[in-house]
Formats: sequence, structure tokens, C-alpha cells
Amino acid sequence: MDQIIQTLIIGLANGLIYALVALGYTLVYGIIELINFAHGDVFMLGSMLAFVLIAPPSNGGWGIFSIESGTPLPLLTIQILIVLAICMASMATLNWFIERVAYRPLRHAPKLAPLITAIGVSFILQNVGLILGGAYQRTVDSVFPTDNLLAPFGITNIVLTASQVLVAVVTIPILVALSWFVGKTRQGRAMRATAQDPDTAGLMGVDVNRTIAITFIIGGALAGAAGLVQILYNNYTVYTLGVRFGLNSFTAAVLGGIGNLQGAVLGALVIGEINAISDRYVSPNWTQAIVFGILIAVLVFKPTGLLGQQLADRA
Amino acid sequence: MSGTTKVIGTGPGAWFGFIGSTLASYPGRYRAAYHRRRTRTILLTILLIGSLIYPVIHSVFLAGFSRNVVPLPLPDDTVMTFMTIFAIMSIGLNIVAGYAGLLDLGYVAFYAIGAYVAAFLASPHFGQFGIDIVFLGHVGPGAVGIHLPFWIVAIVAILVVATFGALLGAPTLRLRGDYLAIVTLGFGEIVPLFFKNLSSVTINFALGPLAISLSNVNLTGGVQGINPIDPPFLPILDVVFDARSGPLAVYFGMFLVLIAIVVARNLDLSRMGRAWGAIREDETAAEMMGVNTVRTKLLAFALGASFAGVAGAFQASYLGATTSDFFEFSTSILVLIMVILGGIGNVWGALAGAVMLVYVDETLLPYVSQRIGDIAPALPNPSQYNFLIYGVLLVVMMRFRPQGFLPSRQREAELSVHGLADADAQMGIVGEFDNVGVAPPGQDETGSDSRTPETPDEARDL
Repeated sequence: MDQIIQTLIIGLANGLIYALVALGYTLVYGIIELINFAHGDVFMLGSMLAFVLIAPPSNGGWGIFSIESGTPLPLLTIQILIVLAICMASMATLNWFIERVAYRPLRHAPKLAPLITAIGVSFILQNVGLILGGAYQRTVDSVFPTDNLLAPFGITNIVLTASQVLVAVVTIPILVALSWFVGKTRQGRAMRATAQDPDTAGLMGVDVNRTIAITFIIGGALAGAAGLVQILYNNYTVYTLGVRFGLNSFTAAVLGGIGNLQGAVLGALVIGEINAISDRYVSPNWTQAIVFGILIAVLVFKPTGLLGQQLADRA
Repeated sequence: MSGTTKVIGTGPGAWFGFIGSTLASYPGRYRAAYHRRRTRTILLTILLIGSLIYPVIHSVFLAGFSRNVVPLPLPDDTVMTFMTIFAIMSIGLNIVAGYAGLLDLGYVAFYAIGAYVAAFLASPHFGQFGIDIVFLGHVGPGAVGIHLPFWIVAIVAILVVATFGALLGAPTLRLRGDYLAIVTLGFGEIVPLFFKNLSSVTINFALGPLAISLSNVNLTGGVQGINPIDPPFLPILDVVFDARSGPLAVYFGMFLVLIAIVVARNLDLSRMGRAWGAIREDETAAEMMGVNTVRTKLLAFALGASFAGVAGAFQASYLGATTSDFFEFSTSILVLIMVILGGIGNVWGALAGAVMLVYVDETLLPYVSQRIGDIAPALPNPSQYNFLIYGVLLVVMMRFRPQGFLPSRQREAELSVHGLADADAQMGIVGEFDNVGVAPPGQDETGSDSRTPETPDEARDL
């Protein structure tokens, strides 16, 4: 029983990272119906950036904000917030740039042209990651103490570490903020209108290009945040990280119902748990196959996903 | 067709006839057009003869020249054989993506299945289970395992791969284009994983009298893969086509490519090919015209996949070994780039794309890397960043020339962002493809706007 709970905690933490990336997929798909293959690689570059900012020079980083274990908590918080802001801003800019240069000229091209472009962008970003980070896995030491936070409550069989709490502390406010932005603000309404029908939204005075650009900016910022969380929680990055994480996150978005924000988060948590359970009880060798099997099964049997809107006429 | 070109038919007879009539310098107002075609025919003839004699010239002269005198970026036998393997695949993917307009991002799965079919049917691998079947195989008597000749292996590979293609396609072809792309991508990732992980299978199955109990069976060779695999061979002459047989293997590959071209061309020109074109252009309209869309798409998927099966079987037999590491997502994309680069929907484009890309990937980039390494070792190594180049290529191609370098005219029209009407006007086509149904009496069947979309920039599935 303890083991199961332990596995679920690990899955939950990874699921929250998937959620940040999956939201990027689902936002973009919701608004321009493009499977943005490059999004996982934006996340990867975010983690690379976080790595070089945080890691000490001896470890291959720039050491600008070298976060070391033992830093007092207020200082640590400020450092993490600064790095978070840098990562989010940089990846938002990158994603905006990608949209502007690669996807916008193809707005009216046949549907698969932007998809193929996205694959091309994905390869470009992977190679940028390869140039920045090298061909091997880059790891940082955990900046948080690995003490069990549950130990003071007398629970020793289940381990909850500070970094797992950090994932929730960083991720959940971002998710709430996004939900508020899309649901309550004027710009969020423009996004929803554009997602429903770009032409009509344009006629109603929505600047469609600007709205799409903002969607990409938000997706990039979320991926940047996820990159930092990846470094702080899983403590590693590699230039192919985006492919694996991206496909998991995309599966999560599809599972939840692509285009649906709550669905993406729910799907991400489910995929995180499935990953953890499979890693623990089946074999890490089969995890990827299980995730893809789920992806195929969902697309075949329930293309609208768990919480999807009625997309049957589209799918 | 307007009158500026003469229909000359197809096939080698018509081709030689055309050379003859062209060389006779046909006078008159079509001279310019004929002059152009003559230049093209002569160039193509030179290209064909050149590619036929190049493997021999390379092995007897150029390889030594390049090694001893001046290093030149010349493709060697292995590279040329891989050109033919990838040509078969890009011609096959062209059927799926080019003719039927279905984006398959997991094409490598079929390549892998083909390779493992060859590994199962022409290697000592199954000797471990006490299964020894030798039938016309290239082995001595008393060999362990299953040894079948390449032709049987290739046919079995076609059947197995087509079955897998149909199994994957049957539930997924109802999906839209981009969802199909993702499902195939997933399939392309899963299949090599299975080959990698099924190295220690334990089955305990009992149902009445039927009881299967296996423990730790090495089904696929795991990470090490399976070897040695029998090479293709000619029985009486005892000629073997493997990695050691130099230009012979290249000619064997060329022969397979020739078959692939003939099959693909005939499929394109058949009733099925017209149905593919109809589905690609407008699925709803095609269905209205009585095309069974699911069955037609399924056939495109399975037939296209079977090409990869042959390519995989040939690759495994040629190399004499196979491992799951050969079959990565990037290979699927590489084949897709070949099709897009060459000209989507055109057999010759797919062929040219495969030859070009394999040349760049296997010969030119390593050559340039080596030269740069000799001069300035500090500079980055281009062959390490080959996918950066291909990524840029994909983005630039989609932006500026989505129809590829050698497009089929029909696909060029569809991929033009200005819509069909504009491209039709450029090409001087008036209602060429409108003879699919009989117009009701008193109604003009080939209205000039019959194929014009409602809005010029209407989004259209590829």
C-alpha cells in the first residue's frame, strides 16, 4: 500500500510537469488545429536554459544563478523566481518567433503543410539543444534537501520530498492563472472566440493574428516554466528530452480531449500516474509502448478524449 | 490537353520511337517545344546510362582514384545500395502520402517488420526452438533454423507488412489527417520497441488440451538483434548480393527499384489511382461519386506499407544483420523528406529525392566534415547536425516550394496557395479531371468553375 502511494506521488509530480507542456499543445491545437510538434522541443530548450542558468560552471553551466543546496529559503525563492521569469520570457519569445516565422505564412496553406513545418522546426530546435548542451545527459545536483517532509508526522514509509512540493507550488498557481486568463479576461474571450471560428471572430473585431501570437506566447511561457521544474525536480536534461516528454504530453492532451484546458491537466495527471505505475510495476522498457498504446486507443475509440467537446465532425 | 504537346504514349517502345522522331528534327511551329523535350530526353538517357554504368566504373576506377589521388565525394557501393533501399521506401510512402494524401509518420515500422521477417525466415535464429526448415536457401545441408530464399522472404514480407498496415489502418483511417499522423507516429515508435523488448518472453498458456509453456524465449534477439541473415542470391550462377558483393548488390537494388516504379506507376494510372486522387482532393465528393473511401484508403495504406516491407527485407538480407536501433522516428521523417523534396505525388520525384538525400546524408556531409576536420578541427561537424539541415530544408520547402522539385502537375495545382483555378489557368487545363460522372441533360458538365473552391484560401487536407 505504501508503495502504491509512493508511486502515485511520483506520478503526480511528473504529471504536473506534463500538464504544463500539454497545455501548450492543447492551446495551440484548440486555436489553429495544428499539432505543434516543436512544442516538446521548446520545453527541452527551456530546461536547457534553466540548466545553464542554475548549474555551476564546473558542471557546464554559466553559473549566473548557481543555486546550491543550503541556500537560505528566502534567497532560494528569489533565485528560483528570477530564473522562472527568465525561462518563461525566453521560451515565450522563442515560441512567438517560431509562430511568426514558420507557421503564420502557412495560415492558409493545406492543412498538412504547417504540420510538416512543425516537424522541421522540431528538428531545428533539437539541434540547437544539441549545440547548447552537447550529446549527453546533463545533470544538476538537487538543490533541495532530500529529507522526508512527512517524517515529523510520524510517516516514514512514504517519502514526500521538498522538490515534489516545489513542483506543486510552481505549477498549480500557473494553472490557476491560466484558467483565469482564458476564462475571465477580454483576451481570453478573444482566444475562445478564435478557437471556435477564426473568421467570425475576425469579423467581430478580434485581431486573429494577435490572438494566435498570444496563444503561442502563453504556450511558450508554460513550456519554459515546465523546463525549470524539470531541472529542479528530475534534475536532468538532454537534447532528446523534448521528444519523449512532448509525446507523453501530447498523449495527455489527446486523452483529456484536445482543445480542452481542464482536460489537458486531467490527462497529464493520468499519464503521469500511468508512467509511474508502469515504470514501477511493469518495466520502464514498456512504458513508452503503453503510453502510445493508450494514445492510439483513445484516438481510435474516443477521439474526443475524456473531457473533449464534440469534435466528432472534425475528427 | 491543349495542342502544344503530342501524346506519345508510355513504355520503352514509345520512348525509343520518340527519340527517333525527335532526332528527325520535326520542323514547324512546335520546334521550340520539341527542342526542349529533345534536350530533356537526351539528358535523361545520359542520366540513365550513367547511373547504370557508374557502380562498375566506381568499383574498378573511381574508388581507387578517390582513395589514392584526390579524395572526391563519391557514393560507394553501400551508399548506392542504400539509395535503392530508400528509393523503394520513398516510392512506397509516395503512394500513401502523395497519391492518397495520408500522412504516415510511422513508416519506419513497416521497414522494421520487413527486416525482421527476413531475419526470422532466413537465419539460424529459430534453430533455438528446434525449428529447422531449409528450402532453396543459401546454406549448406544440415543448417539449423529457417532458411528461405529472398524471393519467398520478400513475398512473405509484403503479405505480413500489408496485413499490419491494414490492421493499423482499419480503425484509424476514419480519423482526420493530423490524427492519423499521430497514430502512425505512435505505431512507428511501438513496433521497434517490441522488437527490442521481446528478447525474454515467458508464456504460460493452457486451454484444455492446448498448453503452451515457454520461459525466457529470445524471440527477437533484443538489443543485439538477429544475425547472420542469408543474403539474396541467384541459385544456378551462385551469385550473392550482400555487403561484400560490391556493385552486384547495387544492381539487385536497382532491379527492385525498377519493379517498385512499375508497380507504383501502374497503381497511379489505374482505377484505384484515380480513386486515390479523388479522395485526396475532396473526400466527401469522392464518396458521393461512389468511391468506397475506407476501402480505398486502406488499400493505399497497405500497398504503400508493403514497399517498406520489401525495403526492410532487402536491407536486412543485404547487411546480414538487423537490430531495432536501425528503425527510429528520424528514419520515417527522412523518407518523408525524400518524398517532399523530390515532389510529392510523383514517382520520379520520390526516386530523385531518395538518391539526393542518401547521397547528402551518407557521402556529402561526411566528406565535407572530413575536409573541415582536416583544415580546421575546431569548427562544428556538419554531419553531426544533419537533421538541423533537414529541419531547415523542411521549413523552407513548405514555405516556398511545397510541391517539391519534381512535382506531379496535379499535386502542384492542389498545393498552390492560390487555389486550383489559378493553377489550372497557368497550366491551360480545362476540366481535364471532370469526366468522373455524366452530367444531367442540358447541363454543362465541365463548367469552368466546377473545381474552384469557394474561397481561394480554403483549408484543404493534403
